Amino acid sequence: MNSQPAVKKETKNKIRVEFDRTPLKDRLKAKFGNLAFYTNIVWYIFRFVILLGVSYVVLYPFFTKIAASFMSPEDFIDVTVMLIPKYPSLDQYKAIFLENDYISAFFNTLSLSLISAILQTFVSCLVGYGLAKFKFKGNALVMGAVILTMVVPHGTVYLSMFMQFRYFDLFDFFGLFESFGYTGIIDAIAGNGGVQLTASYWPLVILSATGLAFKNGLYIFMMRQFFRGVPDELEESAYIDGSGTLRTFLQIIIPLSVPMMITIFLFAFSWQWTDDFYTNMFISTNKIKLMPDIVGIPKSLETTYAGQELYYSAINNTCGLMIIMPLVVMYLFCQRYLVQGIERSGIVG
Amino acid sequence: MSNTKAVGSVASSSKPRKTRRPASLDKRKANAGWFFVAPFVIGFILIYIPIIFDSIKFSFHEIDPVRTGGYTLTWVGIQNYQKALFENADFVKTLVTGIQQLVLEVPSIVIFSLFIAVLLNDKIAGRAAFRAILFVPVILSTGLISSIEAQNNLSEFMDASEGGIDDGTGQSAAAQLSAAIDLEALFANMKVGTELVEYVASAVDSISNIINRSGVQILIFLAGLQSISPAIYESCKMDGATTWETFWKITFPMISPMILVNAVYTIIDAFTAESNAVMKLIDSVYSQPDGNVLSSAMAWMYFLVVILILAAVCGIMSAFVFYQRRD
Repeated sequence: MNSQPAVKKETKNKIRVEFDRTPLKDRLKAKFGNLAFYTNIVWYIFRFVILLGVSYVVLYPFFTKIAASFMSPEDFIDVTVMLIPKYPSLDQYKAIFLENDYISAFFNTLSLSLISAILQTFVSCLVGYGLAKFKFKGNALVMGAVILTMVVPHGTVYLSMFMQFRYFDLFDFFGLFESFGYTGIIDAIAGNGGVQLTASYWPLVILSATGLAFKNGLYIFMMRQFFRGVPDELEESAYIDGSGTLRTFLQIIIPLSVPMMITIFLFAFSWQWTDDFYTNMFISTNKIKLMPDIVGIPKSLETTYAGQELYYSAINNTCGLMIIMPLVVMYLFCQRYLVQGIERSGIVG
Repeated sequence: MSNTKAVGSVASSSKPRKTRRPASLDKRKANAGWFFVAPFVIGFILIYIPIIFDSIKFSFHEIDPVRTGGYTLTWVGIQNYQKALFENADFVKTLVTGIQQLVLEVPSIVIFSLFIAVLLNDKIAGRAAFRAILFVPVILSTGLISSIEAQNNLSEFMDASEGGIDDGTGQSAAAQLSAAIDLEALFANMKVGTELVEYVASAVDSISNIINRSGVQILIFLAGLQSISPAIYESCKMDGATTWETFWKITFPMISPMILVNAVYTIIDAFTAESNAVMKLIDSVYSQPDGNVLSSAMAWMYFLVVILILAAVCGIMSAFVFYQRRD
């Protein structure tokens, strides 16, 4: 090691040098002969086993469902069939796909979920940033309002929410405050009709754009907490360089909140995707097929056979599987971005 | 509730200026703040307030259906509230047990989800698959899938021959596992107090419940962990900190804003889930004759209690939450 390495062979872009290597024994000893190595292995196995166990508990209910989705009616009356069907068939998938309008439901739900998820993500970002980084009178009050929208479940205000959009009329609200004698529903019906916004995407779009949709308060709260953790120096240096508030937000803040935004997008998308509360309330027509509409027994599978009840329940479960399948695929795609935001964040020095 | 607007207008017109000067930085920042929260404030005032206004108003009235198909409202003041508190036998009792249960559940859910999120954040074989699997409870927690689940009798049949140990919810799988190890006996000699042992044992017994309710929290923690700058970890490693120290000195403070979010979310989720005992009671009261005004009075009292609990939790936790900024 003390002598200069001797050059054995040298070409234009390659050089072979002879040098004293640490003996294999010492190298192995350095690598495996310490406690840290074994602690790491034990820790790795421990983690893996825990995650495996947790995954098992989550997936357990799905085993029967997935097995049943490949069964034909004969399997359900055969006592010897447990999880592996004797007469495997894809009939259930085929029938749901073709007869229950899966394709159109898929694309309708996709567009609706995309619109509302993107709107919700962006609006929560805006509001969360405003609440986290600006001191103005009423800040705490607005935050309280956000929490209030989280606490009151939408099921409790079902009727008045429906009426709000069935007879959509923004100016009604002035009359509301003028007199306490506003007798709610009756007046709304008898009074000036307003615009009927149900049976369209509009109610959900409006709710999303104003941060009032399903669990939107959570998103705003998440964003606020996240932005409060972002050091002020980042913005201050942007301000000093002459950037305005909005530009700072779009060019400095948004890029470093990618993991948070992806998470919110995932929540908003998948909850809109599997939602039946709002879609039943606002879009309950046959014109727009959505995911809840595909749950049902396809015509060709109707049977009066012995195992009818079980078969029907298996079909419903298969519908459920087909509804969540796209979400899992989307998540696998999105989770890559959950690790991408890090390189950009943080201040150096 | 209309204060929101009033306060805003006061804020923007409080200091009339004779000479036209550019607004001060503070004021410009305040205006920018209003600009950012504008979408929510507008929606809240125009859409949300009328909605909850109706509901609150009902709780102070008595509804008499009219034969022609409508109803009249009579002002009865706080009578509905008195009924709910003093005449309905179950309301207060259910409320108290609900809160007790919550105190036990929330810490275990938050701690568990933080633990899993930290595990999922490290590089490990099949990380993507594990993440996808733990995302499933998020999907299952809402409307459509749970309503399919409600009428599912498939699993009863499938496992009937095994002796009916399975109810298809995963509950039994976990119960089997934990029954195999007698936890309380295992920890009985550790001298940490029987209460703690019992608490941990009960948490382990309801592990499937905890897992299925912590999907959202895990994802929130994951996103929070991702936004911690790796530079901090590197410098920590250079200085020779162990993983354990790094967790308590770096990860824990940096993730603490998200711990607050998750605590608040878990409380709200537990309180407003349809399976909550108080929510069930309110629902059942609603369908009784003359019960709809009573149920809305109950609901509003309930929400008030929830908000008070949230305020207390926020107040206590804010003292420990670390924000990487000057105040």
